[in-house]
Amino acid sequence: MIQLEHLTKEYNGVRAVNDLTADIPDGEIFGLLGPNGAGKSTTILMLVGLIEPTAGNCRVNGLDVARDPVNVKQQIGYMPEDVGFYATMSAEENLRYFGRLYGMDFPAIAKRSSELLSLVGLDGVTKDVGGYSKGMRQRLGLAKALLNDPAVIILDEPTANLDPQGVADYRRIIRDVAREGKTVVVSSHILEEVSKVSTSVGILSAGKLVAQGSWKDLAREISLTSTSHVTIIIETKDPMPEFRHPDIISIDYERDRCGAVVLARSDIRDEIAFHLAENNICLRGLSREGLSLEETFLSYYHIAG
Amino acid sequence: MMTGNRLITIARKEFFDHIRSRKFLLIFGILLIVAVVGLIGGVTEYNKEIKSYNEHQSMVNSPLSSYMPEKPSILSVFSSVATYLIFVGGILGIAMGFDLVSKEKESKSLKILLSHPVYRDEVINGKALGGIAALAGALAVVLVIAFATLLIYGIVPDSSELILIAVFGGVSFLLIFSYFAIALFMSTVMDESGSALIYTIIIFIVLSVLVPTLANDTVMEYIIGSQPELPQELIDQMQRSANSTEENTFSFSSKVNTGAWDAYNERVQAYWEKRQAMGDTFALFSPTMNYEAITMAITSGRSRPMQVISIGNGVATSFAVASVDDVAVGDIFGNIAPNLIALILFPAVFFGLAYVRFMRLDVR
Repeated sequence: MIQLEHLTKEYNGVRAVNDLTADIPDGEIFGLLGPNGAGKSTTILMLVGLIEPTAGNCRVNGLDVARDPVNVKQQIGYMPEDVGFYATMSAEENLRYFGRLYGMDFPAIAKRSSELLSLVGLDGVTKDVGGYSKGMRQRLGLAKALLNDPAVIILDEPTANLDPQGVADYRRIIRDVAREGKTVVVSSHILEEVSKVSTSVGILSAGKLVAQGSWKDLAREISLTSTSHVTIIIETKDPMPEFRHPDIISIDYERDRCGAVVLARSDIRDEIAFHLAENNICLRGLSREGLSLEETFLSYYHIAG
Repeated sequence: MMTGNRLITIARKEFFDHIRSRKFLLIFGILLIVAVVGLIGGVTEYNKEIKSYNEHQSMVNSPLSSYMPEKPSILSVFSSVATYLIFVGGILGIAMGFDLVSKEKESKSLKILLSHPVYRDEVINGKALGGIAALAGALAVVLVIAFATLLIYGIVPDSSELILIAVFGGVSFLLIFSYFAIALFMSTVMDESGSALIYTIIIFIVLSVLVPTLANDTVMEYIIGSQPELPQELIDQMQRSANSTEENTFSFSSKVNTGAWDAYNERVQAYWEKRQAMGDTFALFSPTMNYEAITMAITSGRSRPMQVISIGNGVATSFAVASVDDVAVGDIFGNIAPNLIALILFPAVFFGLAYVRFMRLDVR
């Protein structure tokens, strides 16, 4: 559905996006992650056709964004991070204007606007958008992004100004939209937010895509290659005897010594199991703690750095 | 969706934004007031001139009548309207254009707008079209009120006068559109509306005050030098002629060297033609001066004001730089053609610059 090929953007000789290549299949909720200045917004602006790439290209449904911007935009619904509407117009008037630009007729716009304003919780709000809070604008931004029933929805920091109810509504709407087979790209620096809705992620660092895949795949990959510390959880039926190993940094025993958390320089689960068996201790559980989202993200970020 | 439909959608929104905006309504209100005040003043003056003309008419067969004045033109009524329009119209054009793009940059609505299936030229053309429609509407109202005022005072223009009134409306529109185009250009260049407004006002002052100042006497003398001095030989001859009490003044020409006088006259003529050409060239760069030249030609039937020139040594005379005689209506267009072309080119150039800038704008 979305293909980015060697996408590069330079501002005054500085590369904001550097040779970015990625493939986002149909029906995916793709999270574009990265720290500030990683090139997420620049990538999205090129994808939406608001800025021209210095090199490379973006394709949506096989159409080149730079060569066929109008047809590409017809298939895209976009919500920028700083959502701006016409302040002297109501939500409905704003949607009517944008609907006309999509080529929708007035009855279709009226029907769709009514549905969407209800969906984002803005039905019955008649005041001008100038009087909206940031959160209300963001809700309206989501409604605007869905106005033309697009095949691709691109959202830049979509929950930045939303209250908890708004965030929950947003997640529900995005999941429903993806179930309809639409492709959603969500750019954010809030890991938890991306992890809760996205089915796959791409991690950007200094304009480069340093990882792409599902969270599980990325975490597994990191855990296999990581040289950082390992946390091991032990559960036993009987109290554990003392255990020593050169790779152990620390062991925190539970009060009854039937459980412990081991921080080690390597995965020493085999040695632990052997030691417990030697001492006739019945082992109930021996697991390595998975990497958190943050650890996974930071690992990729540090690898790239 | 057809390109034309998107263009019309944008233009329609811009048009209604303009005519609903407080700044437009306020300046338009001021424009109407000054236009009506100017018209009433113009009509009063016109009626006086007509009365004077009619008195001369009644004396046409009298042996005391030595000359027959021209019948005053109805268009003279518009001369004071033109004076007000230069400033109020300029301000209206600036007010309508200075934030057309910069406001959308500030409010971030430009990002949303351009993410829709529209070409950028449709957006900038739609904005210009909406502005043009609002300006044209405002001027149409002014002209209708002007026409109604004429009728109320019992003044009925003939067909040629109606054409000139329409031309007056057209050039007034071009003047306002010139400043609208400058403001639109600055709006595409600047990220903030405040900066766009300040720079547009600076350009407005340069074009409506500084350029006319450059074209004035002092600066012209500085650039191309003073008028040729009257040769000492001629001054002596003139003084001798003035001192001789027994001779009457009609014999002046017989006392001076006519060859030297003619040569001096030619040098003065060449000097003033050069000065006028330079002044006219300066004027072409100022929409205000072009507008003044055109409206003067339309409202008074003259291509430029008569100049009275002092040639020093206490001798004064009037000197015709170019034709200052009343010009036939058909000739007016010939006289104002350079100014008219400049007044058309000016907004076209600035709109072209705004267009190019907008097409290359990085929306971040």
